Amino acid sequence: MEIYLPVAEMSVNWLIIIALGLAVGFLSGMFGVGGGFLMTPLLVFAGIPSTVAVATTLSHITASSMSGALAQWRKRAIDFTMSGVMFAGGIAGTLCGVWLVALMRRQGQMDLIVALTYVLMLGTIGTLMLRESLTALKAYRSGVTSSRRMVNRGWIQALPFKMRFRQSRLYISVIPPLVIGFAVGALSAIMGIGGGFIIVPAMIYILRMPTRVVMGTSLVQIIAITAITTVLQATSNFAVDIILAGLLVVGGVVGAQLGVRAGGKLRGEQLRLLLALVVLAVGAGLAWQLVVRPADVYSLSLEGP
Amino acid sequence: MKRALLALLLLISLPAHAEDLVSGISQDIIQITSSYTGTQIVVFGAIERAQTAQGRDVVVVVRGPDEPMTVRRRDRVVGVWVNRDAAHFEGLPTYYYLAATQPVSRIAPRDTLARYGIGLQQLQPSAIGSHHDPEPFRQAVIRHLQRLGLYAESPGSIDFYSETLFSTRVPVPAGVTRGQYNVEVYLFRDGQMVSAQSTPLFVDASGLERRLFNLAQNAPFSYGLACVLMAVLLGWISSVLFQRAT
Repeated sequence: MEIYLPVAEMSVNWLIIIALGLAVGFLSGMFGVGGGFLMTPLLVFAGIPSTVAVATTLSHITASSMSGALAQWRKRAIDFTMSGVMFAGGIAGTLCGVWLVALMRRQGQMDLIVALTYVLMLGTIGTLMLRESLTALKAYRSGVTSSRRMVNRGWIQALPFKMRFRQSRLYISVIPPLVIGFAVGALSAIMGIGGGFIIVPAMIYILRMPTRVVMGTSLVQIIAITAITTVLQATSNFAVDIILAGLLVVGGVVGAQLGVRAGGKLRGEQLRLLLALVVLAVGAGLAWQLVVRPADVYSLSLEGP
Repeated sequence: MKRALLALLLLISLPAHAEDLVSGISQDIIQITSSYTGTQIVVFGAIERAQTAQGRDVVVVVRGPDEPMTVRRRDRVVGVWVNRDAAHFEGLPTYYYLAATQPVSRIAPRDTLARYGIGLQQLQPSAIGSHHDPEPFRQAVIRHLQRLGLYAESPGSIDFYSETLFSTRVPVPAGVTRGQYNVEVYLFRDGQMVSAQSTPLFVDASGLERRLFNLAQNAPFSYGLACVLMAVLLGWISSVLFQRAT
């Protein structure tokens, strides 16, 4: 059951890795997120060096997102125009993120920054989603069929360079999608995530895209970002383990398909409530690790000054 | 006068009668394949012109390739554990295993052990960067690698089959670094080293693992691209298969 990972230089039980891919893939298919925010901490917990975990998780996200995106594509639920605009911002963001990582490594504060970013992002987004989905559920229960609230888009409507996004039935400025794409690209390089848990809420709450196209569009965006970051990680850090990636991917794609089916049976509000709880749980776990006294206050890494 | 003459005589005659050592290892290359989960090598040897076993000790040291290491210490800052202090070491091995007939502190005086780098506590970095008090950091390296099974000291683990024939098993765990290792066998007589032998041991990947590792190092762009393609293809295939199934 053991298999040797050539880049991580260690052997792992491949059944456990496939099961891990399956479980995380299921969640990503269900919620339309990549699942990197779960996979990276889980791999580190399983003993994989964190640089390899961050870089290799990206392949898993590419695959499970691909499989989820195709399912959404058949439903014609992807806004490629929006993906394209966000991707343009994403490339710039990724390059910027890789540069930031190099800077933080030199300071020796990489781990802390990553952990703090995780806690902050997961905490904020989880809380926002939880509140929103609970309100929506309550409204549904009390029988008030709230037609889409006409929200005051204010400053977003006032921005220039407007563009028509037909699939999303939106006519808005390209600046917000560009900025969101940039931010997610940078975070993807720093945290080893696809950024679904940021893109999805951003699309829903900032861009006000219809929920129908959010899943598919965010998946396309995630595929593009993770593909680029994988190549960058392979060339700059030599940290992508293709054997580990293969195992995760095999579990991930099957899990993603099952997840898409399971997700179709749940209502949007329930899905968002569940995702919010998962996000908050991971965030709380990471925060706990930051404040609890480590088993050994010294840590060792094989690298020069 | 008579005693001095006797001592001189003994000194002259010593080389002819001194104990000597021959040793070997069960394999001189460890191949890392896809099913590699760690292995064992056997180091064996014989003592020539053996004298009494009393006061005689054998020490086997296997030392892996050196790597630069950075150790960081976390401290609590506003409730959060943060890396505050760091020390850099050069010239510490990534693997160190010692087997001996008894604890090394009883075999020879400390300065003799230090000269030959025998014992985990005698492992000294060749260069230390950026810290005024590196000792706790050096201890942390030893502790950390001991936890991973990469550093170990195992006194009393040398088996004697006769007065002169001995062997010991050296565990090589899955997490070892690739490169050249050195197997050193020392013979001590009353705290003095009388003979030593060194044999190289190579740890290297073979087959598919080797090709993948080389590709990742030499052609990282194609390697990264291959990873992406694999992911995209598997995602696509699974999607098609599942659509057929329903």
